[in-house]
Amino acid sequence: MTSLKLGQSFSMIALNAQRSLEMTTAKKVALRCMAAAVILEIYLDGGFTQTGNQFVLNQDMLEQSQSMPYREVILTSIVRKNTETTGELSWWLKKASRLPERILRKLELVISDSLKEMSLLEEIPHILGCDLYFHSAGVDIKEYRSDIQGFSTITESTRAELLEDGLVTDETICLVWLLRESGCMLDFFSRSELASISAGMYKLYQNEPLAKVLFPIRIHSGIELILKKLLRMKTGVVRTQAGSGMNFLFPMLERSQAIFIDTEQMLPNAVKRLHDVRARLESKGHTVTVLHKGQIPTIKVDNLVYEAIPHAIYGRVPIHGVRLIPKPLF
Amino acid sequence: MSRQRSMETILASEYVSIGELVRLTDSRYSTLKFYTEEGMLPFEQAEENLTRRYKREDTVARILRIKKLKSTGLSIPQIKEALNMGE
Repeated sequence: MTSLKLGQSFSMIALNAQRSLEMTTAKKVALRCMAAAVILEIYLDGGFTQTGNQFVLNQDMLEQSQSMPYREVILTSIVRKNTETTGELSWWLKKASRLPERILRKLELVISDSLKEMSLLEEIPHILGCDLYFHSAGVDIKEYRSDIQGFSTITESTRAELLEDGLVTDETICLVWLLRESGCMLDFFSRSELASISAGMYKLYQNEPLAKVLFPIRIHSGIELILKKLLRMKTGVVRTQAGSGMNFLFPMLERSQAIFIDTEQMLPNAVKRLHDVRARLESKGHTVTVLHKGQIPTIKVDNLVYEAIPHAIYGRVPIHGVRLIPKPLF
Repeated sequence: MSRQRSMETILASEYVSIGELVRLTDSRYSTLKFYTEEGMLPFEQAEENLTRRYKREDTVARILRIKKLKSTGLSIPQIKEALNMGE
């Protein structure tokens, strides 16, 4: 696999399973973090000169960014309004993450186009379109799907670095911060792993200069902050310097969704149920891998794992089928 | 401060980390960790630095061989036996 820049690899994670046609709250959060990822990418590439706490944008970076359109979108938007190009890292990250929606939309278009060119991202019908009601109504919902191999290479090598003893690279420090800020921690780490991730992040915070600057920065805003306050009492369990427990405990911005797929027969057996589910998902262009067969099979749809639980919904007549529920990692 | 090594550097180096093995072989981290714990992937570990280092060429070849054996339907004990016989 070709080596990707931080902004590109994080975008593959952030855009995966997001709706491509509409601007949802989860996608807005993802785009805000993608904008921050672009700033971090420029920092990693030596685009800033650091004097004390201040980060000065190198002038040549603006010219160079013309060859990388997604960098240009972010840099020109920040610099246009501010004649000065100096600030702390938190200032840069907050400026990028609070860019107006139309700029974020532009960033989404530019970055998704570049990933599509590399065959690392595609638009497929959304899994919600397989739900009984959406399917029968013919509603068209589309979502992004990252290249399955590429996606797992990025996430698995990040997991390896964080869960293994030894050096953690700057890219991984940035990526784990971005995952925390976008509320995706539980998508990639099981609850038992999160305990060691939390400890590892605290160790990084103490020893690594980049982590010390980066980890205390928050780019959450608005509704997320309110949700955070409401659930504050439950965060104490895993509160550390590296991260308050919100994202560690509650996946408030769940990207995967529970859907209901009707089966052809009343009271079908497990094999027929699985066959019908598979047929429906594949007819909508999803890639289905059966991880575990049995009464309640575990299936991987694109990049996400679901449990297929037998279920029925009752209207004028009962409809038998399968409820696909996102499977927690623990 | 350390940066991630580029694919060219990894492909030119004698030793790699488990994270780099994941990138090289498109395997899952938990799978490689399991193979390591089962003694199927030999590694070196310097005392002052806890990072496990794997010989790149040998280990990648071994992982590919394990994958091939696994695709033929062999179980882990059978794969271990086959690997030991090959040595």
